[in-house]
Amino acid sequence: MDQPIQTDYLRWIVLLPLLGAATNGLLGAQLQKRFGKGLISTIAIAPVLGSFLLSVRALFDLVALQPEQRFLIDRLYTWITTGSLNVDVAFWIDPLSAVMILVVTGIGGLIHIYSIGYMHDDNSYWRFFTFLNLFTFAMLLLVTGDNLLLVFVGWEGVGLCSYALIGFWYQDHVNTTAGNKAFIVNRVGDFGFILGIFLIFWTLDHQGHGTVSFREIQKFASLLKNQEIWGGGVATLATLFLFVGATGKSAQIPLYVWLPDAMQGPTPVSALIHAATMVTAGVYMIARLHFLYSMAPLTLEVVAVIGVATALFAATIALTQNDIKRVLAYSTISQLGYMFLGAGVAAYGAAIFHLMTHAFFKACLFLGSGSVIHAMGGEQDMGKMGGLRSAMPYTFWTFAISVLAIAGTPLTGGFFSKDEILWQAFSSAHGSPLLWSLGVVGAGLTAFYMFRQLFLVFFGNSRADHHTQEHLHESPKVMTVPLVILAIGSIAAGWIGLPEVFGGSQFAEWLEPVFGKPHEMAASEGPELLLMICSVAVAAVGFFIAYLMYYRGALAPERFSSLAGGALYRLFYNKYYVDEIYQAIFVRGTLLLARTGAWIDQHIIDFIVDGSAKTTAYISWFNGLFDNYVIDGIVNALANITFWAGGKFRKVQTGNINSYLYVILGAVVLAIIVRLRYSS
Amino acid sequence: MTGDQFLFLILAALSTVSSLLVIFQRNIVRSAMALVATLFLVAVLFLTLDAPMVGFLQILVYAGAIMVLFLFVIMLLNSALLEQRQNFWWGFGSLTALLLVIEILFLVSKSFELDGRSPSLSGSFGSPELLAQTLFTDFVLPFEIASLLLLVAIIGAVVLAKRGA
Amino acid sequence: METNLTPLLPAAEVTLTALTVLLLDLFLREEEKGFLAWISVTGLALAAGMAFFLWGSQEGAFRNTLLLDDFALFFTEIFLGTALLTILSSIHYLRETNIRSGEYYALILFSTTGMILMAAANDLILFFLGLETMSVGVYILTGMWRERVEASEAAMKYFLIGAFATGFLLYGIALIFGATGSTNLTRISFFLSLSFHQWPLLVIAGVYLVFIGLAFKIGAFPFHFWVPDVYEGAPTPITGFMSVAVKAAAFAGWARIFVHQFSVVEHEWGVPLHALAILTMTVGNLLAIAQSSVKRMLAYSSIAHAGYLLIGVVAGKEPGGSALLFYLLAYAPMTLGAFAVLLALKDGEKDNESYDDFAGVGLKRPFLGMAMSIFMLSLAGFPPLSGFTGKFYLFRSAIVSGYTDLAIIGALNSLLSVIYYLRVIVKMYMEQGGVEAQPFAKAPCLYVAIVIAVLGTVGLGLLPARALSLSGVSYLSLR
Repeated sequence: MDQPIQTDYLRWIVLLPLLGAATNGLLGAQLQKRFGKGLISTIAIAPVLGSFLLSVRALFDLVALQPEQRFLIDRLYTWITTGSLNVDVAFWIDPLSAVMILVVTGIGGLIHIYSIGYMHDDNSYWRFFTFLNLFTFAMLLLVTGDNLLLVFVGWEGVGLCSYALIGFWYQDHVNTTAGNKAFIVNRVGDFGFILGIFLIFWTLDHQGHGTVSFREIQKFASLLKNQEIWGGGVATLATLFLFVGATGKSAQIPLYVWLPDAMQGPTPVSALIHAATMVTAGVYMIARLHFLYSMAPLTLEVVAVIGVATALFAATIALTQNDIKRVLAYSTISQLGYMFLGAGVAAYGAAIFHLMTHAFFKACLFLGSGSVIHAMGGEQDMGKMGGLRSAMPYTFWTFAISVLAIAGTPLTGGFFSKDEILWQAFSSAHGSPLLWSLGVVGAGLTAFYMFRQLFLVFFGNSRADHHTQEHLHESPKVMTVPLVILAIGSIAAGWIGLPEVFGGSQFAEWLEPVFGKPHEMAASEGPELLLMICSVAVAAVGFFIAYLMYYRGALAPERFSSLAGGALYRLFYNKYYVDEIYQAIFVRGTLLLARTGAWIDQHIIDFIVDGSAKTTAYISWFNGLFDNYVIDGIVNALANITFWAGGKFRKVQTGNINSYLYVILGAVVLAIIVRLRYSS
Repeated sequence: MTGDQFLFLILAALSTVSSLLVIFQRNIVRSAMALVATLFLVAVLFLTLDAPMVGFLQILVYAGAIMVLFLFVIMLLNSALLEQRQNFWWGFGSLTALLLVIEILFLVSKSFELDGRSPSLSGSFGSPELLAQTLFTDFVLPFEIASLLLLVAIIGAVVLAKRGA
Repeated sequence: METNLTPLLPAAEVTLTALTVLLLDLFLREEEKGFLAWISVTGLALAAGMAFFLWGSQEGAFRNTLLLDDFALFFTEIFLGTALLTILSSIHYLRETNIRSGEYYALILFSTTGMILMAAANDLILFFLGLETMSVGVYILTGMWRERVEASEAAMKYFLIGAFATGFLLYGIALIFGATGSTNLTRISFFLSLSFHQWPLLVIAGVYLVFIGLAFKIGAFPFHFWVPDVYEGAPTPITGFMSVAVKAAAFAGWARIFVHQFSVVEHEWGVPLHALAILTMTVGNLLAIAQSSVKRMLAYSSIAHAGYLLIGVVAGKEPGGSALLFYLLAYAPMTLGAFAVLLALKDGEKDNESYDDFAGVGLKRPFLGMAMSIFMLSLAGFPPLSGFTGKFYLFRSAIVSGYTDLAIIGALNSLLSVIYYLRVIVKMYMEQGGVEAQPFAKAPCLYVAIVIAVLGTVGLGLLPARALSLSGVSYLSLR
């Protein structure tokens, strides 16, 4: 492990998509005009495919090595060198990042292909693929960067690309607002992230080992122990800061607000960024720095609680939404919550496992919904769908399989990974029955809202208008083939991570060199099976209620929505009013502060001039007020006040330099007085 | 109190009074004349302080050349009366200036109290020879740069004053 | 006596060019005036070449009033580069307005001479004269477009306030001279280190007055009120010149005088400067949000950046000093580039500086849009652009020197700044109805300037190692 194996092809995994982005970005407009869209998509897809093949090669190279030596590095050049700090531009692959690059390039590649069909009629075709490639590049940088700073570059990069892609259809003002929101909320998280980096660097630097490289941080991690700052452990604070970054990128409470709005972007973007890759960055980061998190039990507790809270919170919102993509968005937030729950109970392997299976079925769900929206001519309201099963068989079957997977139906991918997390939440040293039971409730809710969606969209009678019904059609091959592959993956991905009861997880074994041995697998088969049955049963209840409500119509949804006078329903439906609260406090607050400041800045001189230079005028006005009060009463006085205020705020442009300079002079005089007092 | 000190005090008081007159006169020509007086008095101050060269230059350049120019401009513009000042700022400015003077006096006195030494001067300090020597050895570069600064100022004056091309 | 004239070479070369331009201006016809720009550019390039070959020398001249060290050369290169880009982006502007090009270029060159002298001065008198040469030049440049009322008003304001600030500076120098008997920085700092903790109050008062004078020049809070008005009123290329070169020159003073020579009395000026840094960046960023004119927004952003730069001064010593130098270098291309793009929007007499004018520019002129996005993102500290690496070094220097609060507030501020920088990008790509920007054919030099700025911004972000080691070497060359 000390001598990592140098390679020179890892860089191409990362750089190929950048190359594609550069070509399309600079020449795309001309190429598209002259040679058509086929060339554009070729330029975009070939690099991603190349990256995928190279990733597979990296995987095989890793497999060929001894488990504890599975580690490749490719160093390009020294980026920053100053005093105690050396940062390389270097890419590394270990079992963890191998999983990530395969997910990013594999699923990302499928989504690229799908986009050929989905974006076919869009004039800004080249722009779309440029950003898609650029995003892939940033994400690969994020997962292969060998130090925190390089990861931060990718971290910011995905935020930027996501902003550009959400606002892709900028003609609609809602989209640009959503893009802005995503970017700024992400930056809030990034602030935490960079603080975390600084804190780690600073503490290590004080001990003579200033570094931001993962391997070295791991080597010197013990130095962070027992270090205190601002009344807390450094490890705890640093990991908490980094976790703030993770909540931004991975859409957890309290920074999740951008993700549902991000659904304004084209559907492949929702699938790629907001389901399969970018949002998993936070989970990856925690897994990458697992050695730090394991040193900070308090942070782990926070992560687990935020995770399970987000899982439940988002699930309740998803129950009531009618927009097909919005339901999926909240389900993504909820599923990410499960991943954080896994990370929070120190079951990093389980979290990454769920990340991978989730990438398959969520990408499939989103692409499927895209296919539906495509067929419905842009309609996203589930209340206007229904009965699509016969018109769109491929979409239906793949969608159904993914719904089964996400709902945790036994033997699907989602079942194995979610079950692993729930089991760890129960049995791990950091877990508790409470975490487990909350997770199970969430699983029940998930089953309900996913089947609700399935029934509303594909079963029953069509509620669409006549025109749309006539134009219903299955999507072209270029869109359905990726769906089929993803659906197969949704089932198959689970089988590499079988629970202990059924023979043990190859996936966990693969990640063992990174995370170390999973915690004691004592003779616990009995409870594990029992818990498994419990969660399946709860999910089955969720399914059954959805079945009764939306398939059989035996149970009126109103019976639930009118509970507690409908207050609960309204709360869920309006997403707990969090957006409104944030808007009122943060957005309005900042703007108010800025405007007030600017006003003061512009008018301070005028203000001083009018406020005090006219003291005499003021006094005489006061006399006048008194007279008026006595003689003419309040009405006239009020008129006087308005008149006075109007004059007061009139902008005085010239002649204020003098007064400004006097004020400065006065300040200097004061400062000298203060200085003299303080010195003597 | 030596005679020197007595002379200094008188000159200092006179120059302060005349410079106050420069500010408080509302007739601009009188203001200018008060300024001439101030400059002369300061020149005399320089003479008594072992700086004859600076004193002569003061008279030649300021009282002579620049003030004549000032008066020309005033007469050409023909605006003898200054407009009414804003009372408040007038007061505020005067007050802060007064405070600043007091503070500086305090600082200076305190400063000499602390270390008790003032820079000692050689006999020929302030003589044209010594001044020239300093100016053309230690400060020859600043001296030359000053000419550059003047050139820039002249260009500026021409550019801003010249009517459209 | 043998006089060493080598240290004067770059400054002399620039002065010579300025004089040549002035003289030639008399003989050229109106349509041949474009030639003057090329003479200026050649002169600047020559001077830059000289500075390049002098790199590494360490000598003094004129009884050590002037020093030739890497520090001075580093700043010289920044000034020369800035002047060069300013002239390149002015060519089109001058054609559209009624500004006399001969004097315009000459004044830029004279100002640059003043700056070079400021950075190389080891004597307060010479520093002061350099500062005045620079300032007088810039005052006039501000008001050169005389048909515009705002320009005259701005020039007047700038002049009065600048003169006021100069008063502080000069009085401070006088007080320091009175107490120490010298204006030479080496001797002053020797004096300071001798009378350890027993400084006469006179010196301290002098230090404070110089402090105020320099704070004025960089537009630090609360001496910032003039910045927005003056920046908005000045011709746009000059605004860029001011916000980069003038600021860099003032910071050369901060670095040489305060960080290096006055480091003994740091406990005196460190605390107020610490507060000033925080207030300056916060006020600058907060107020920039509320602006509706991009030019004015850039003025406030320039105030905010003065605040970031002050972090380097407060952090002090090698980490702070070299981070300060690097950030100035990184700050130059992105700011000049932003102003150059702003210039590309100018159409005839109309300046087109509001956010709304930017609407759709990214789609109509993809190159300008991309360039402006890069500059905005870099100013916001977005990796891997120069603004990010620069801020990273600055914040790191603050942390290493134990000013964690500055690093945190700085990072928070750069988060805040995204709000207004992003607005430009949003306007450019996601809205429509703005102005037609100038195409390449109409303003080729402007485009060249933008390309150089883009290369600088991206290059200093991706490959900062060399530039950083240079800024480290430069700071350490201070004696």
